[in-house]
Amino acid sequence: MPATATDPLLSPELLGRLERLELVSRKVFRGRMKGERRSRRKGESVEFADFRHYVAGDDLRLIDWNLYARLDQLFLKLFLEEEDLHFFSLIDASESMNFGDPTKLRVAKQMAAALGYVGLCRADRVSVSVLGPEGRRAPVLRGRASLWKMLAYLDSVQSGHNVSLHDGVKEFALRTSGTGVAVLLTDLMDKEGYESALRMLIGRRMDVFVMHILSPEEIDPPLRGDRKLIDIEDRDEAEITINAHVLNKYKETVQAFMNSAKHFCSKRSIIYIPVRTDTPVETIVTRYLRERGVVR
Amino acid sequence: MSWISTLTPLHWALFSLIPIGIILLYFLKLRREPVEVPSTFLWKKTIEDLHVNSLLQRLRRSILLFLQLLIITLAALAMLRPGVRGETSSRGRLVFLIDTSASMQTTDVDDDANRFERAKRLVSERIEAMSDSETAMLVSFSDRAEVLQSFTSDRNRLRDALSRAEVTNRPTDVLGALKAADGLANPRRTSEAGDVNDVQVADALPADLLLYSDGGFQTVTEFDLGNLAPTYIPIGSAEVTNLAITAFSAERNVEKPEQVQIFATVINLGTRPAAATATLTLDDELLDASSVDLPVGEQAGLSFSIESEEAISLKLALDIKDDLAIDNVAYAALTPMRNVSVLVVTPGNSPLEIALSTSKAGKICQSEFVPPEYMSTESYQQRAESGNDDLIIYDRCSPETMPRTNTFFIGALPSNKVSNTDGTTTEAWKWNSEPSGVALIDMDRTHPLMRYLELFSLLIFQGRSVEGPAGSTELLGADIGPMLMIAPRDGYQDLVLGFELISTGADGATQTNTNWYAERSWPVFVLNVLRYLAGAAEVSGAPSYTPGDTVRLRVESAIRDVDVERLRDKAAKVPVGPSGVTEIVETDMPGNYRVKSGERIVDMFSINLFNRSESTVAAAESIELGYESVEGEVGGVEKRQEYWRWLLIGMLAILATEWWVFGRRVA
Repeated sequence: MPATATDPLLSPELLGRLERLELVSRKVFRGRMKGERRSRRKGESVEFADFRHYVAGDDLRLIDWNLYARLDQLFLKLFLEEEDLHFFSLIDASESMNFGDPTKLRVAKQMAAALGYVGLCRADRVSVSVLGPEGRRAPVLRGRASLWKMLAYLDSVQSGHNVSLHDGVKEFALRTSGTGVAVLLTDLMDKEGYESALRMLIGRRMDVFVMHILSPEEIDPPLRGDRKLIDIEDRDEAEITINAHVLNKYKETVQAFMNSAKHFCSKRSIIYIPVRTDTPVETIVTRYLRERGVVR
Repeated sequence: MSWISTLTPLHWALFSLIPIGIILLYFLKLRREPVEVPSTFLWKKTIEDLHVNSLLQRLRRSILLFLQLLIITLAALAMLRPGVRGETSSRGRLVFLIDTSASMQTTDVDDDANRFERAKRLVSERIEAMSDSETAMLVSFSDRAEVLQSFTSDRNRLRDALSRAEVTNRPTDVLGALKAADGLANPRRTSEAGDVNDVQVADALPADLLLYSDGGFQTVTEFDLGNLAPTYIPIGSAEVTNLAITAFSAERNVEKPEQVQIFATVINLGTRPAAATATLTLDDELLDASSVDLPVGEQAGLSFSIESEEAISLKLALDIKDDLAIDNVAYAALTPMRNVSVLVVTPGNSPLEIALSTSKAGKICQSEFVPPEYMSTESYQQRAESGNDDLIIYDRCSPETMPRTNTFFIGALPSNKVSNTDGTTTEAWKWNSEPSGVALIDMDRTHPLMRYLELFSLLIFQGRSVEGPAGSTELLGADIGPMLMIAPRDGYQDLVLGFELISTGADGATQTNTNWYAERSWPVFVLNVLRYLAGAAEVSGAPSYTPGDTVRLRVESAIRDVDVERLRDKAAKVPVGPSGVTEIVETDMPGNYRVKSGERIVDMFSINLFNRSESTVAAAESIELGYESVEGEVGGVEKRQEYWRWLLIGMLAILATEWWVFGRRVA
């Protein structure tokens, strides 16, 4: 049964399954706060990493006194420091996302919630925000207890933020100083193109994932006959007579569009994940995202 | 395969605009269903790809447009009426003669309402089977022929003309129709035969004469078919049942006017024995009935007797459902008496006075006797001018100017003059002999004025023969010449008697000139004069006419117009001529007709078929036309097989397909 707007974004069963997952970053980021994630950066933890000679100024508490007793040299015992990961979910909340049943925006919010919860469970810093100025009021969350705060924010997100991907990402990049994993939840339906937005994220040294959300009605529209198509965002009109030939042509265009996005992403180490809104969010998170290395 | 275009070139030109309009509409695009989509981005991209070869591509993909154009094409083909017909040995010119006489109302045909409808159907089928090179004319005939359509190759005109043809209640006279057809097929010479300089005005054109009739008409002998090739298509069967009333009249007893004697003749003119009850009704009230049971060809006389002093309308109906209904009903009427006004200008005439005052004459006549000096008074001038008198009798005197009414001159001549060709005028009437003894030798007994008269025993002491103007009729002939003549004058009639009844001797004494006043024939003659010349209505039965006849009636001069009504029909106003004569032409329907002035019935007449030839309805196997005997063609005419109905069905199927396709696309 398709989810409705009033259903909770994440079911309790899914929450249970998400707790066992972990966000994966293909890049090593320096966390600001201590987290559960093992970092390549040596620091304080319980996991041994290496020894090095003591130099003046080192913390005396890190000196391995047992080694000093045996070797009469001062060594510092280094541990792998456990860091947190900064996880950004960027939701495209333009009017075009308010389409389909369930709407693409709802699916995007579910994905953001699911991934955010995975991050919260692993003590990562999680920031779930919509593109555009509205994203400024998105809270930065940490800890499992912040789940409700995150869900409350997501519930408040409505469609209608008709900013282009470029402007939305640019605004995000300007207000965000750090790096991390950025998941862009969008349908890529931007007449100005999505390329500059993705380049901007790459430029910010983000580990970028693009979840390309499309509804089945977009991929295979149930339209026939003489129609006046009205763009839900800019009320642009296109008069068209839809017959089998035109429809096939349209499907080819959609496929070409997805292929070009995938190609663009793969050239720039962006993970491109096509998502159909009729696919349950559990399946997306536990199977597709796992397969593509977003979570493990 | 042959084609019959049902549209004119102008119509085709307009029709050709339809497919152009459809294509234009297709591009203008009608109403589009608005649909919201997340983005027109990908759709526009799709359209851009398709627009690379836009027009043809768009047309190629539009099944709806193709279906619409196919429908129009099928409609055009249907309007061309494609069909197949066999070869006919046509001469290229056809003359359709369609019988519209009463006998064509016979209902002995299957599939059609009556013979006439079948004839129409057969003519229609032959018209449809005409090739483009054939021309045809259509003539209908009953007792008169009517060219409904002269030669044309336009089937629409022929069809229209055929739709105008209607069956009548009239008898048949095929000769007029043959003459109409003959006029074109056999053009006559310009002048008299034998003239060596004579030239043919036009080439004789052979034509097929197609006669659709039941053959119920007299043999035509005085007619040469010439270039006409006759084909007789008999309509109807040879086995019929038909009882017919061929005579029906009512007469008042002369002695007892309230007694009415009614006579009827019923004949079995079918080919099977028949029996029926004859019902006599008076103004829809049953009066009497009688049964008839007749073998084939036999006839029976029916008589009834009733009492009525009023004007009555009688109807005799045979209660039988035979093949021809119109002759199962007959009508008769008795007219009311009518008063006429007679002015007698005389120095004194007792016999005339007595004859005009008999009880019988007194009922129908109001007479006024004035001396000859009265003619010089203003009162007389006004009466003569106004024509208020139905008759003026001038006894031994003559007016300077003839009055505007009928006149009877006794021993004197009318004063009117006639114009000669050289511009001079001469007296219309002349004495043709000197006064002498008269011996009557001849009499026109057929004339109404001379009915019931026996005059050869008269003694006439002195008389002069009369010479009337052109158109005069001699009613009484004597050894010295015409003695009684009647002649028309500007719509009136003048009757002139060549001898006096009462003479004035040289000594001025009055003496009788004839013994007529003592004879029975004298008051009868005066009564005849009143009835015929003064226009007094007959007290006997109203006359019966056949359908379509022009009925001439003389009514009182003072009446300007009359209402003529068939019982239960709406009255029609008919004007009365200056001489009190009215002509009634709307007499197609059988029935009793009343002529009324206001609420007063002034005259009556009946319309009945009463035609043995029409009632003999067994279809003739062959007919005699001119000097040829034409056998009926049993097979009928060749019929054209047409496919336009199939094309129309195809159009409907395509329309349904289009509806279905459209429904699928919009859904």
